[in-house]
Amino acid sequence: MFVLSGYEYLLGFTLVCSLVPILALTAAKLLRPSRRGPERRTTYESGMEPIGGAWIQFNIRYYMFALIFVIFDVETVFLYPWAVAFNQLGLLAFLEALVFIGILVIGLVYAWRKGALEWS
Amino acid sequence: MNLAEGVQIVSFGLLAAMMLGAALGVVLLSNVVYSAFLLAGAFISAAGLYLLLNADFVAMAQVLVYVGAVNVLIIFAIMLVNKREDFTPIPQAWIRKTATAVVCAGLFALLSTMVLATPWAISTDATVPSGSMVVIGKHFFTDFLLPFELASVLLLMALIGAIVLARREFLPDLEEADLQQTMLTLPERPRELTPAGSNPGSHSK
Repeated sequence: MFVLSGYEYLLGFTLVCSLVPILALTAAKLLRPSRRGPERRTTYESGMEPIGGAWIQFNIRYYMFALIFVIFDVETVFLYPWAVAFNQLGLLAFLEALVFIGILVIGLVYAWRKGALEWS
Repeated sequence: MNLAEGVQIVSFGLLAAMMLGAALGVVLLSNVVYSAFLLAGAFISAAGLYLLLNADFVAMAQVLVYVGAVNVLIIFAIMLVNKREDFTPIPQAWIRKTATAVVCAGLFALLSTMVLATPWAISTDATVPSGSMVVIGKHFFTDFLLPFELASVLLLMALIGAIVLARREFLPDLEEADLQQTMLTLPERPRELTPAGSNPGSHSK
């Protein structure tokens, strides 16, 4: 039994996707002129010039965005089976999912009111 | 062996090799950022292995939660705490290394004997016909409805707790100067206007 039935397209796309960076980098290596210099080793060729190292301590407020993202990510995991089985579940399940989302919207409103989504 | 089984075996081999390589990289590389990204690779390989086992929901949750959320948290934690320091080598490090190696080898031996000794019951028929997702969805809204809604309350508690803990007013005052300092030293500054014709790469800092 082919357990991957229905995943042939995923397999094909995975193969194509893994070929794309290899081909792009190989073609670029073949085509580009090879030049050395200090400008070549900078992070962005035409952007801001970076000063200092990248190993600094970042602001703690980034972490709160990550935490809020994790909460809603886990919510997605719970809602995904509901979305897949939506046609076979009916109205009651729709209302129950609305309750689920509503409880989390309270959290979103709380985060919003507390200014957790803003960069003050 | 037909084509499908061959594809399956090749996929399993590739995924297992990816997983082993990524996991070894997580442990062996000294740069912790590389370790974090390789951990994401190990998680993705595990998701592929779940797909090979016909567990599509677990694979989806693995990608969404572990690669998407847990790994992001790990990388953010590294960004928050990590300052590059020069570590001095510990004297007599080989004792610790030997002890670690013995413990790890023992754990590995224990787990492998358990794997080999367990009589695995491999079912030949597909009990979940196509898509465990639909079955899980039906269970969520019939006999597992209360845990489903309680999970929402749990997530709400986690969200509010994170906001309460991470808000500025609960941070001690002595970090004020540090935070200000961190914001001011974001590693970018506008590039000076260089006169036309001069070599922009020549000025050094």
